[in-house]
Amino acid sequence: MWAYIFRRLIYNIPVYLGILLLLMAALRVHDPVYSYLGKVATQQEYDQLAARMGLDQPFIVQYGRFLGEVVTLDFSTHSWARPGVTVGSMLADAVVPSLMLTVPALVLTFLISVCIGLISAYFRGRPIDRILVIGAVIGMSISFLVYIVLGQYFGAYKLNEALGVQLFAIEGYEPGLGNWVHYCMLPVLISVIVALGYDTRYYRAVIVEESSADYITTARAKGAAEGKILFVHMLKNAMISIVTRVMITLPFLITGSILLEYYFNIPGMGRTLLSAITVKDFPVIQAFTGIFGAFFIASNILTDVVYALVDPRVRLS
Amino acid sequence: MRILQRFFRSRGVRKLARNRLAMFALAIVLFYGVVAAAILLFRLVPLEATRERVGPQNLPGFFANPSPERRLEHADYYLGLLLRQLKEEDPARALRSIALAERRVVDKPLAEIRDALEKASALYEDMVDRDELYDDAQVAAVIPDIERLESMVDSLFVVPADSSTIYSMRLLFGTDRQGRSIFMRAIYSVKVAVQVGAVVALVSVILGSFLGAAAAFFGGWVDHAVIWLYSTFSAIPSLVLLLVLVYMFTDTFVEGTIYTIYCAFCMTFWIGPCRVVRGETLRLKELEYVQAAKTAGFGRFYILLRHVLPNTAHLMFINFSLLFIGAIKSEVILSFLGLGIKNEPSWGIMINQSRPEVINGFFWQIGAATAFMFVLVLAFNILTDALQDAFDPKHLG
Repeated sequence: MWAYIFRRLIYNIPVYLGILLLLMAALRVHDPVYSYLGKVATQQEYDQLAARMGLDQPFIVQYGRFLGEVVTLDFSTHSWARPGVTVGSMLADAVVPSLMLTVPALVLTFLISVCIGLISAYFRGRPIDRILVIGAVIGMSISFLVYIVLGQYFGAYKLNEALGVQLFAIEGYEPGLGNWVHYCMLPVLISVIVALGYDTRYYRAVIVEESSADYITTARAKGAAEGKILFVHMLKNAMISIVTRVMITLPFLITGSILLEYYFNIPGMGRTLLSAITVKDFPVIQAFTGIFGAFFIASNILTDVVYALVDPRVRLS
Repeated sequence: MRILQRFFRSRGVRKLARNRLAMFALAIVLFYGVVAAAILLFRLVPLEATRERVGPQNLPGFFANPSPERRLEHADYYLGLLLRQLKEEDPARALRSIALAERRVVDKPLAEIRDALEKASALYEDMVDRDELYDDAQVAAVIPDIERLESMVDSLFVVPADSSTIYSMRLLFGTDRQGRSIFMRAIYSVKVAVQVGAVVALVSVILGSFLGAAAAFFGGWVDHAVIWLYSTFSAIPSLVLLLVLVYMFTDTFVEGTIYTIYCAFCMTFWIGPCRVVRGETLRLKELEYVQAAKTAGFGRFYILLRHVLPNTAHLMFINFSLLFIGAIKSEVILSFLGLGIKNEPSWGIMINQSRPEVINGFFWQIGAATAFMFVLVLAFNILTDALQDAFDPKHLG
C-alpha cells in the first residue's frame, strides 16, 4: 500500500512542476509589475517592486525560488495591494470561510443526490423517475447565476420581509459557528440545488448500470429481499463509481465556490483570488494558484488510494 | 469530407434520427445558429441597436403597465427629455433628433409644444408630492390623474411610420436601467454565445482528438508528453485556470474581446476530448483492420488520419456538444464576474446588470437572458444525451 502511494507521489512530481511552469509563465506574459503600477510609476518604484519579488532575475531562478517557497510552505511574501500582509496570513484567513461553505454543501449534495438517484433508479421508467430525470435536465440547463440572483432575492429579501426577522443575511460573513445559519445557509442551499441536477443523473446512471448486472439477477433468483438487494448488494458495488465522483469534487473544498463567495461577499479563497486578479496583486495570484494546483494533485493521489481501497480489482503492485 | 459521409451513414445516426425529441432539439440549436449567422453576416441586429436608448428606464415587457410610481417616473423622463432638447441652440433640430423606439416628437410649432410641455410639467409637479402615490391602499385614486398626464405626454409624440419588424419589437421585453432594449440585447447575445460555443468546441475537439489519437497511436515519448500536458492542465481547477488566462491577456489589445475568451477556453477545453479519444484509440489500434493496414505498408500518419480518427468521429460529436454547453456557461460566468467580453452584450453581462433591478422587483432583463440561454442549453443537453445514447450507450452520467 505504502509503495503504491509513494509511486503515485513520484508520478505526480513532474505534473506539479508542469503546473508551476504553466502558471508562472502565464502570469509573466504581461509584465506583472508594470500592469500593477501602471504608466505613472517612476523607474525607481518599478525596480524596487520587481526586486522584492525577484522579478528582475532570470525565469529559472524565479521558478526555483517559488518552488522552494511552495515546498517548504513558506508563504511570507508580502501582498502588493495590502502592504504588510503576508500571503500566508491571507491564506489562513480565507480557508475557514471557504470550508464553512463547501463542506456542508458537499455533504448535503452527496446525501440528497444519492437518495434521489436511488429512488429514481428504483422506479426506473415509471412516472416518478420520469419527473426526476426531466427535473434534473431542466435544473442543469438554468445558469448558476440565475440561482444565485433569484436565490438571494427570494431567500434573503423576500423571506426576511415575510418573516419580519433577518433569517438569512443578504450578504457578508462573520466568523463563528453561531453565525453559520445566518450567513452561510443560503449560499450552501443554492450550491446544493445547482449541483443536484448533475449528481442525481450520474448516480442514477451508476445504479441503473449496476442493477442490470448478473449478480443482481442471481440475488433475485435466490429470493433476496428487494430492499436488501438495493442497499446491500447494489450500493456496495456502486460505491466505486460514487467514490470517484465524490473525490473529483474534493478540490472544490479548497478553491471554494468562486461565484458564491463573490456574490455573497464571503471572504473565502475564491473571492480573495478574484479580488487579487482585479487589482493585479501578483504575489497573491501566484501563491494562490500554486496552492490550488498542489491541493488538486493531493486530492488526485487520495482518489487513487481510496479507489484502490474500495475496488480490490485495482492492482497495487 | 469522407469522415462526415461515413459518419452520416452509420447506424448511430439512424438511431439518432428516429429520436424525435433529439431532432426537435437539433432544430432549435440550428435555429439559434441561423439567428447568430444572420446577426454576424447580415447585421440583423447591429451592435448600435443594443447600445442606443429606446425609452425610459426599466419599462416592463409586453407593453404592460408598470406601477403608478414608475409611470410617473417615465412621464418625467419624457418631459425632461423634451425640456432638455428645447434648451439647445437649435430646439427644432434637437427635437427632431429624438429617436426612441416608438416615439418621434410630433410635428407641431415650437410654441405649441412648449405650451403643452409646461402644462404637463405643472401636472407632474403637482402629482409627485401626493401621498396617495406611496400608499398601497389609496393608490387607485391617483390612476386617473396619471392617465391624464400620460395622455398629455403622448400628445407630444407620434409613432414613427418607418420601422422594420425587428425594430418595432424593441420594447417587447422592456428596457434596462439605461433605457436600452432588452430584446435587442438578448438577441444579440445569441450571436456571442453561438460564436463562443462553436469556435471553442470546434477548435478544442480538433486539437484534443488529434493529440489524443496521436498519443495513443504512436505511444512512447509522444504519449508521455501528451499525458503530462493534459494532467498539468487538468490539475488546475478550470475556473482558476480561466481566471489566470484572462489575467494573462489584460492590458493587451485583445482584453475584453471575444478573442481572449476563445484562447482561454480552448486552452482548458481540449483536455476532455483528448482523454476520451486517447482511450478509444488505444482500443482501436489493436484491432485487426489497423494491423492489416500496417501490414499493407501504409504510413503511420496515413493510418492515423484515414483509419483511426474517422472511427472516433462519434466521440468527437458527443464532445463537441458537451463543450458547446460548457463554453456558453463558462462565458456567461466570466462575463458575470466582469472578466469576460466587455465590448458586446452577453447573457452574463445582462444577468450581472439585472442585480439592482431584481432588488427593485424588475425581472425582465434577468428573465429574458435566462430564457434565451435556457432554451439553447436545454436543447443542447437533450441533444448530448441522445448522441450518447446512440453512439456510446455504455457511458455513465
